[in-house]
Amino acid sequence: MPDVASSSFTFYTSSNLMELTGQKARHLKEFVEILKIIDGASIFCHTHQAFREFHFAKGIFTNDFAYWAAEAIQEEDLAERLASVDIRDFVDIRSLRERLIEIIEDYLGEKNEIRIAPRGKEFHFCKSISIASRTSHEVWTLSEFRDALKKVGDRSLFYHFFDARLRLERSTNDFSNWIESSLGKPDLAGKIEKLDPYLFTLDGIRERMMELIDEELRSESIDEMLKDRTLGVISKMKAARDILSKIFRKKKEDK
Amino acid sequence: MTVRLSDYARIVGPGVIEEIELLARKVRGRRMKMVNSTAVGGGVAEMLAKTVPIFNELGIETKWDVIKGADSFFSVTKSFHNALHGMKVDIKNEMFDIFREFNEMNAREMTFDEDLIVIHDPQPAGLIEKKAEGKGKWVWRCHIDVSHPDMRVWDFLKQYIEKYDGSIFSSPSFAKTLPIPQFLIYPAIDPLSDKNRELPSYTVDRVLKKYNIPGNKPIITQISRFDRLKDPTGVIEAYKIAKRHVDCRLILAGGGATDDPEAGDVLARVKERAGDDPDVHILTLPPFSDLEINALQRASDVIIQKSIREGFGLTVSEGLWKGKPVIGSAVGGIPLQIKHNLTGALVYSIEGCAYQIRYLLSNPDFATKLGTWGKELIREKFLITRIVRNYILMLIALDKPGESIIEI
Repeated sequence: MPDVASSSFTFYTSSNLMELTGQKARHLKEFVEILKIIDGASIFCHTHQAFREFHFAKGIFTNDFAYWAAEAIQEEDLAERLASVDIRDFVDIRSLRERLIEIIEDYLGEKNEIRIAPRGKEFHFCKSISIASRTSHEVWTLSEFRDALKKVGDRSLFYHFFDARLRLERSTNDFSNWIESSLGKPDLAGKIEKLDPYLFTLDGIRERMMELIDEELRSESIDEMLKDRTLGVISKMKAARDILSKIFRKKKEDK
Repeated sequence: MTVRLSDYARIVGPGVIEEIELLARKVRGRRMKMVNSTAVGGGVAEMLAKTVPIFNELGIETKWDVIKGADSFFSVTKSFHNALHGMKVDIKNEMFDIFREFNEMNAREMTFDEDLIVIHDPQPAGLIEKKAEGKGKWVWRCHIDVSHPDMRVWDFLKQYIEKYDGSIFSSPSFAKTLPIPQFLIYPAIDPLSDKNRELPSYTVDRVLKKYNIPGNKPIITQISRFDRLKDPTGVIEAYKIAKRHVDCRLILAGGGATDDPEAGDVLARVKERAGDDPDVHILTLPPFSDLEINALQRASDVIIQKSIREGFGLTVSEGLWKGKPVIGSAVGGIPLQIKHNLTGALVYSIEGCAYQIRYLLSNPDFATKLGTWGKELIREKFLITRIVRNYILMLIALDKPGESIIEI
């Protein structure tokens, strides 16, 4: 019998609609001032949309801020610093915002002059509206989870990996959270949490997760088999013991 | 032949279609109305003709109405259009009166009892005055670049726009300071249209033969009307520089006679610049040459869009969709589609364009990679199914203004 979770997992999918904020920055000083006050949905959008749109070119695009710094104002040094921000280190938008501001302000402190983006290359702040809806996939066991994982779309993976952490402020991705808390498999949960979603394509993450789950299911079935065998041996031993005790009892009575 | 949403599944994947159907179920039964100023011709009418049947198929009852006008009205709206694009136009007070008069006339003849009314472009924007008569939400869909408008026309238009519940723009750089939400919905191409669908190689060969284009050299192509802003002479210069290093053939193909008085002059200059080079093919294509354009793009090794100014640049999307390496100028919406050295090559000058032609023709593996990734970006962002999804999402988002995570 496979382990049944204490509560089920329902796959959601999310669709994004982009909204323009009308805020634009021509240089870094303007940029950092807007960054301080802009809606958190804008920070999420610019740190994640490139990943979503360029998922076929894994790891090449990191975030819109870094791209703008490199392409529009040719601040390659800053671009590298912004690109290296590991979004997994942050559990909410507030702390991510603070880190981005810190990097830019430190950089501005090192510079005597700032570059102005040419007309048409200003940074336009957008924000994303996530519309999350339940899919028909509700699962109770790891094996059901695996089957559903194979079927759901990329947007579902995106929602449970990215939206869940930063926008809904959960400390881990949704998959690891359920696998640990409801299925009681902290090792597998930890391995999935360690996957770097920023370096894999969404399909790559899916494949890697499937491999990890398959390994877990294989070891579960070996355990199950060993358990069956052990139980078999024990019951045979019990039967042998019963027979032997009967024989001993009979011999005793005969004496 | 009626195209159904499911026909796109083999292109965008079943997951995308399922997602659209799932979202549409949440707004099934809603009624929507699209209003624009022309039933045929132009990108807006083309987009509406493709998407309205799909909305209806999804259970969102959608009507498409076209406003009526006279020459005086369309002359005014043409001037407004140019002024909003930033061109210098002589705007007179009576133009505003004509605009109001025709909008009021149309408003009297139309009804608006739908749940969502989408008004396309400035011409029918004044219909918003009817908003109070119904319960529906009103959205203004702006298809033009209003980033540097003539302020007199923009301020006039803005008094109407501010009364809407939302607006839609085609690029982040077109955003304005407005008190209403501004949604971003990129234009898109239809992968099943004659201009973009897969073609058998014999069709491509037939079109090359029709225009006497031998297939013995690499082909570079720019498809654009003969307009100074598309810089066809600049393309010839770039070709000439590149040809000193790599042998190739150039096709410049565009629409023929238009109402653009400069078109004849530009074409004459292009022919003069091309001289008697037998490897330069200047083609003036008649209307409805979509299949020919498709074939010429598919026959090309490199596609160019060396515009000096550009709107969104859907010709770039079309080129990328053919899986070809595209060289585009960094103007208008082209940088949204071409990320340099990832989904194409962005250039700023004739010399830059010439260098990229040389480089891409000499490095076919790299050129193939740009073409492959360019096509994937179009699949992700610039196909018509994404417009359908965006409209459904907007219907949902308008119910919950100000919320950034909506669970349905």
